[in-house]
Parts: sequence; structure tokens; C-alpha cells
Amino acid sequence: MESLALVEPTASLSIWTLFWQAGWVVKLVMIGLLCASIWTWAIIIDKAVAFGRMRAALNRFEQVFWSGQSLEELYRSLSERKTSGMGSIFVAAMREWKKSFEKGAKSPLALQTRIDKAMDLALTREMEGLEGRLGFLATVGASAPFIGLFGTVVGIMTSFQAIAGSKSTNLAVVAPGIAEALLATAIGLLAAIPAVVAYNKLSSDAGKLAVRMEGFADEFSAILSRQIDEKVATKG
Amino acid sequence: MKIGLVTSTALHVVVLGFGLVSLQAPRAFEAADVESLPVDIVPIEEITQIQDGDKKAPMTETPAPLPTERPDIVPDARKVGENDVDTEAAPVPDTKPKPVETAALPEPSPEPAPDPTPEPEVEQPQANEPEPVPATEVEPQPQPRQEVTPDPTPEAAEPEEAEAENAHLPQTAPAPQARPEPPKAQTAKAPDRKTSEKPATKQAQKPESDEKEFDADEVAALLNKQTPSGGGAKRSTQEASLGGRNPTGGEKLSQSEMDALRQRLGSCWNVPAGVDDADALKVSVRFRLDRSGNLEGRPEVIKGGASSGPRRIAAESAVRAVQKCEPFNLPSDKYQTWAEVVVNFDPSDMF
Repeated sequence: MESLALVEPTASLSIWTLFWQAGWVVKLVMIGLLCASIWTWAIIIDKAVAFGRMRAALNRFEQVFWSGQSLEELYRSLSERKTSGMGSIFVAAMREWKKSFEKGAKSPLALQTRIDKAMDLALTREMEGLEGRLGFLATVGASAPFIGLFGTVVGIMTSFQAIAGSKSTNLAVVAPGIAEALLATAIGLLAAIPAVVAYNKLSSDAGKLAVRMEGFADEFSAILSRQIDEKVATKG
Repeated sequence: MKIGLVTSTALHVVVLGFGLVSLQAPRAFEAADVESLPVDIVPIEEITQIQDGDKKAPMTETPAPLPTERPDIVPDARKVGENDVDTEAAPVPDTKPKPVETAALPEPSPEPAPDPTPEPEVEQPQANEPEPVPATEVEPQPQPRQEVTPDPTPEAAEPEEAEAENAHLPQTAPAPQARPEPPKAQTAKAPDRKTSEKPATKQAQKPESDEKEFDADEVAALLNKQTPSGGGAKRSTQEASLGGRNPTGGEKLSQSEMDALRQRLGSCWNVPAGVDDADALKVSVRFRLDRSGNLEGRPEVIKGGASSGPRRIAAESAVRAVQKCEPFNLPSDKYQTWAEVVVNFDPSDMF
């Protein structure tokens, strides 16, 4: 701090000195906004990677699923390792199917319902994973400007009080306090803008993935229902 | 999640570090240290106008014509010259100086001595003299008049005719010149009456003398005053500066002063109502002002107006407007420019 005070007046408007000269409320706001920004970007990077992986996994699974491979074999190979997306839906449905048939299910209608439930559950769990932290992005995007504005208002308030104390309205006296206060708003906007943009992009991506998985679930449900009918017919 | 957090933190650290290095305090705005300059709007007229002065004299700050020999000041004179009366005519050098008739001055010196002594004594007898000789007496007449002037108590009116300076002198001097002339006037009227009246009342005599008598003294006194050489009466004691004899107005009334004058006249002017053609209302009036802004004489209608009808009413209203506004508040240092003013009264301009 000592050395900062000795800095020549023109240099005293650099970002670092602006931050250090600010009051503790403004400092707190700035630090909070900085943390929010870091977390926002962490989420953005994480989600971008996760969505990319999910998309790749969906593509790969669809390729395998429609390749004409037997469902039993596919289930066997998939149940042994960790699955995601359609894979987990498929596994959940097949597990339910297997359990019901091994124990000799009486009602095909109840079986169909159970399989649908299991698939819904798996789908919901998957979507939960995908959309997990997008809410935070929305919150930051909406509230960061206000938090920054709050810091600015507090900063300007204190700087006006200081101006009143100095009894000078010279712009050179007024300007640094206001510039320092405005830094809070700048940081708030800096955090909010990427958050809003990323939230819109990621939520629409998540929506597309969800539609794709729902479509698969419906299709698979139809296939299984046909299988059940065939089994009932052969039994009867 | 870990990867994202680490990457994000790293990203922020990099950006902040870069910002700390590159986003230093912005350079202060360069405000040019300019001194404010006073700006004057100088009308070209001030330079092109010819000032009072002499063509060969050096240029000086204040305009001044050639110095005159006579120092006494004539009020309100506008033309430079040695005369007592301000005239527009250019001064003509006296090639052949004519002898100026100085009727009064040389003679009085010898005579005054004898005069005063007899006068007091003779006063009564002289007044009586005309009575016995009523027929065609010419001489007695001027004499009684002269008697009157020396008497300080009885007549105050007499000195008016003769000028203050000459009050004493004409007593004797006019006699030779005056004598031959008065008889003509008298012969026209009955001399008898006159003589009879005179003794009766001295006051009655005065009005008559004003009417009838052609006083050569006065004429001579007026003539004597100035040699007919032209030139004005403005006095100058300063050294001459560069300029001309006919200045083209060293100064002009500024626009705002003109406007003020126009507005003042406009407010004083009662436009005659109910006149059919507006052209009848257009009147140009010329008037002269003295230094204090008062009218000199009656405003003169130089354009528009007529002997009767709406034009006459318009002309009269214009003259009245000038008279009503009378003390004009104009800058006295520009008196030359507004000594004579021509105002165009035009209802279309006034409103």
C-alpha cells in the first residue's frame, strides 16, 4: 500500500490500484463477482465438454443399435460397463424386461408400463446430469449486473461523501472515485454476459439431446411392446 | 467438473494478469493550453472613413483638423474654420483682402469724451427740439435714440437692437451713416405725428422704431463680423492629423442605436387610422437636433404629405411624433452623425 500511494497520479487509475482503493463493500462485491465469473466459466467449459461427449455417445449407440445386432448381445456388452445417454435408457429397459421374463410375467400390459417407467426414470436421470448446473448460469446472467450496480452505487456514495469532505468539485477529484465505483459494474457485466450467452446455448443444446433421447425411448418402447405381443401370442 | 474449474481459474488468472499489464491507467487527455484571445469585430468603415484632418499631416490616434487661429469656441459648430458662423462653403483664401467696414470701432475713440458731457444736459432740450420743427426733420430722430442707449435705467429694449459690445460705441458712431436713411422711412408716414408722439411717451416710440427704422448699424455690425471667405466655425487647437476637409463621418450610429431611435419614434407615432392607401402614410421628415438631443426648429416634411387630405394628416402625425419624442437619447460623441436626421415614416416598416 505504501508503494501504491507513492505512484504518480496518472498511474493511480490502473485496475489494480482502483481495486485496492475501493471500500470494503465494493471490494467484496468485486471479489464475489470474480468468483461467480470463475465458476460460470468452469460450468461453461464442463458443460461444453459433457455435451460434446454425450452427442458422440448418442451417435455411436445409434449406429450400433441400428446395425442389426441382437438386443441380447448389445445388453450384455453394455451392462458390463458404465453407460450414458441412450445406453443407460436401453440398459434400464432391458433390465426390466429380463427381470420380468425370468420370473414369468403374467400380464403383458403391466410389463409394458414398468418398462416405460424404467426408461422415463433413466431419461430423467440423464437429463438431470446434462442440465445440472445450467441454473447457476441463468442466475449469474440475471443478477451479476445488479450486484455490480450495487457495488457502483455504494462506491459512488462513498466517493461523493469524500468529495463533500474535500470541498472541491474539480473533476480530477471527482473522477477517480467514480471510475473505481464503475469498475464493479464492469466486472458484473463481464461475468453476466458470457453466463447469459452460454445459458441460452447450453439449454437449447440440452433440449435437443433430450428430444433425441425421448425419441429413442419411444421407439424402443414400441419395439419392446411388439416383442411382448409376440411372446404372448406364442405362449397362448 | 474439476477440469472445468481448473481451466476456468487458469483462464481468469491469465486474463487478469494480461489486464493488469496492458490495462494500465489510460493516458490523460491532452488539453492544449491555449490562451483565450480577445476578438474585436471591426467594421471596415472605421478604416475607410475619412477623418477630420489635413492631407499632409502625419497619422495620429485622434483625428484633428488644421489648427485654427481663433481660439474662441463656437458651440455646435460642425465645419472647421475661422468664422463665427458655421457655413458649409469651403474656405477661400483671401487673395485681395478687402477693407472690412468697421464703422463703429475707429470713430468712437475721439468722440465719446465730448458726448457724455453734453448729453445729460441736452437730454431734455433735445427731446423738446423736435416739437418746434415738426415738418421734415430727419436729424432729430436718430439723436433721441442715441440718447436712449446711454441711459441705463429707462430702456432695456434698446440694447437688444445694438449688440452688447457695441452698446456704448454706437452712441456717436452711427450718426453719420444713419442720418441719410431714416428720413425715407419717415417721409412715407406723417412726420408730424411722430414728433408729436415722441415727447409724449418714450415707450410708444419703441415699437414704431422697430418696425420702420432700417438700422444701418446693425447691418454694419453683422457685416463687419466676418469676411466672406467661407469655412465653418469649428475651432481646433490640436496639431493636425491625417484626414480630409470633408470627413465622411468618423463614426456611424451603430445598429442598436439606430434601432433604439427607430423604436422610440415608432412608439411616439400615432398612425392615422382609416386611411385607404398605405402609401399616403409614407412621410419623410428631416429635423435637426442639438447636442442634448432636443429639436432645433420644426421638423420639415421633405417627402410625402400634402396641403390637405389624408396625406396632410399623415405628415402632421409624423411631425408630431418627432416633437413628442423630443429629447432623443443619442450618444453625444457621435453628434455629427445625428445633428441632422431624416426619418422615413412608413407604416409597413414600423409594424
